[in-house]
Amino acid sequence: MSALLEVSALSKRFSGLVAVNEVSFSIAPGEITGILGPNGAGKTTLFNLLTGFLPIDGGEVRFDGHNLAGLAPHRIVNRGLARTFQLCRPFSGMSAFENVMVGCLAPRVRHREAPETRAREILAAVGLAHRAETKVDVLPYGDLRRLEIARALATRPRLLLLDEPFAGLGSSEIEPLSALIRALHRSEGLTILLIEHRLREFMQLVSRVIAMDFGRIIAVATPEDIVRHPLVIEAYIGRAEDDTTGDVLGTA
Amino acid sequence: MGSRPWIFVSLILAALAALPVIVKSEYLLGILSVCFIYGIWAASWDFMSGLTGRENFGHALFIGAGAYTSAFLNARFALNPWWGLPAGAAMAVLLALVIGFPTLRLRGPYFALAMLAAATIMQRLTLIFWQYSGGEEGIPGLDPLLNSKIGIYYLCLAALVLTTAALLLLARSHGGLLLRGIRGDEAACQAAGIDVTFYKIAALVVSAACAGMGGVLYAHYQEAVTPDVFSVALSISLIIMVYVGGIGTIYGPAVGAILLALLPELLRGLGQYRLWAYSVVLIFILFFAPGGLVAPLWRRAVGLAR
Repeated sequence: MSALLEVSALSKRFSGLVAVNEVSFSIAPGEITGILGPNGAGKTTLFNLLTGFLPIDGGEVRFDGHNLAGLAPHRIVNRGLARTFQLCRPFSGMSAFENVMVGCLAPRVRHREAPETRAREILAAVGLAHRAETKVDVLPYGDLRRLEIARALATRPRLLLLDEPFAGLGSSEIEPLSALIRALHRSEGLTILLIEHRLREFMQLVSRVIAMDFGRIIAVATPEDIVRHPLVIEAYIGRAEDDTTGDVLGTA
Repeated sequence: MGSRPWIFVSLILAALAALPVIVKSEYLLGILSVCFIYGIWAASWDFMSGLTGRENFGHALFIGAGAYTSAFLNARFALNPWWGLPAGAAMAVLLALVIGFPTLRLRGPYFALAMLAAATIMQRLTLIFWQYSGGEEGIPGLDPLLNSKIGIYYLCLAALVLTTAALLLLARSHGGLLLRGIRGDEAACQAAGIDVTFYKIAALVVSAACAGMGGVLYAHYQEAVTPDVFSVALSISLIIMVYVGGIGTIYGPAVGAILLALLPELLRGLGQYRLWAYSVVLIFILFFAPGGLVAPLWRRAVGLAR
């Protein structure tokens, strides 16, 4: 079976700093893959390269067999590769329904189904049906995270990139959101690549973990094995003041 | 929406339509005609900049382009002034594309500054090429679009109502929703698969076409065109009118422009204190009603009545 996403020797430099260094991996259709790494490992930069938000300095990204180099972000989305942002980026002044509508109006989906109907369906699917008419400016943070996913889902992606979907959530909110992601994966056959820098959320969600540090891939393994990987342990425990250390130790 | 807003709108429009029958002053009708043209300009500014949040500091560029294009065709080539409406709009659209393509794909203040610079440059060009453009004097002796002042009053009123209605419909369409999304967060819009550059340029083109036609109406109302139609003062006063009306609401800026254009005339009794009073009124409005005056009051009026 051919890979849905194939990344080879992808690199990005910011005036001397190599943020992403010769990264290569591939994602099979239907997989949930996690990208793990301490702050500054290059995870978000990698996402920005895959989605066209940053120009690629070297290497190649192939999605469904097509090279994505030089494509504008909205064109990549319309090929079926959508993303969410680490910080929620709702359209302020607009309702939750209108926020999802924007995604439903992407050229990829707008002619297939009435956008209004589809927006209501997606709000219901992420558990925000009762918030449809609420202005996003007053939505609680947990709902904004769901809205962020809903807007990406609206474009009917084949591969969904989630940038720290649990960031800023309390432990009681993480489990339902995790369940939602698993449900989307099952029902829509969605392939998911997600970034997280805490391990606990990974264990139940992903089948494979790609560990990054200093812009490089240092290990690829199952979640059970990744916590025993010497380079991963070094990446985390190497910095004793890092607040993620406790998380890793607690899980391992 | 309930029927109450429509009743209000109908009453106001009926009153404006009946005005020439009641008031015989051609002077007042003339002032109101200009006020309606200001309404078109402010509403068209709001469609692009109010909805997308990309401020345009040189809307006078489109106004002047429409006015001068029509004046050239009418004075130099003796063309019927009605041809000026499509020609003026086309010239404004052309300039919108020339400025929009390079600057609207960028973030930052480039678009706002390019518009300001382009309008200023055009004003200078009218002075440099005075042999063709008439320099400071401009181009006098234009034919009016209609021969009676009452006819022109109705023409300007109809143009304002149609423009505002069309822009409101567009603003409430799917396209208008995307423009508001662009105002909210451009990157998030792109992540939702929207070609934000296309929508911004499209909005600017619509805005320019309306402003250009307003410029043509203005030139033939004055029966002359002068470099003032490109002035920074005009661009800035339109922005103030939009803020007083309520940015992003289209109808608010249209009404706000009429009121503010009328205000100096209403304050004429104050003589030399007129501009002073005008400025104080403006500062009070902007200070105490940062969301604008017209749109919030209108919402309250129709909201309470419902």
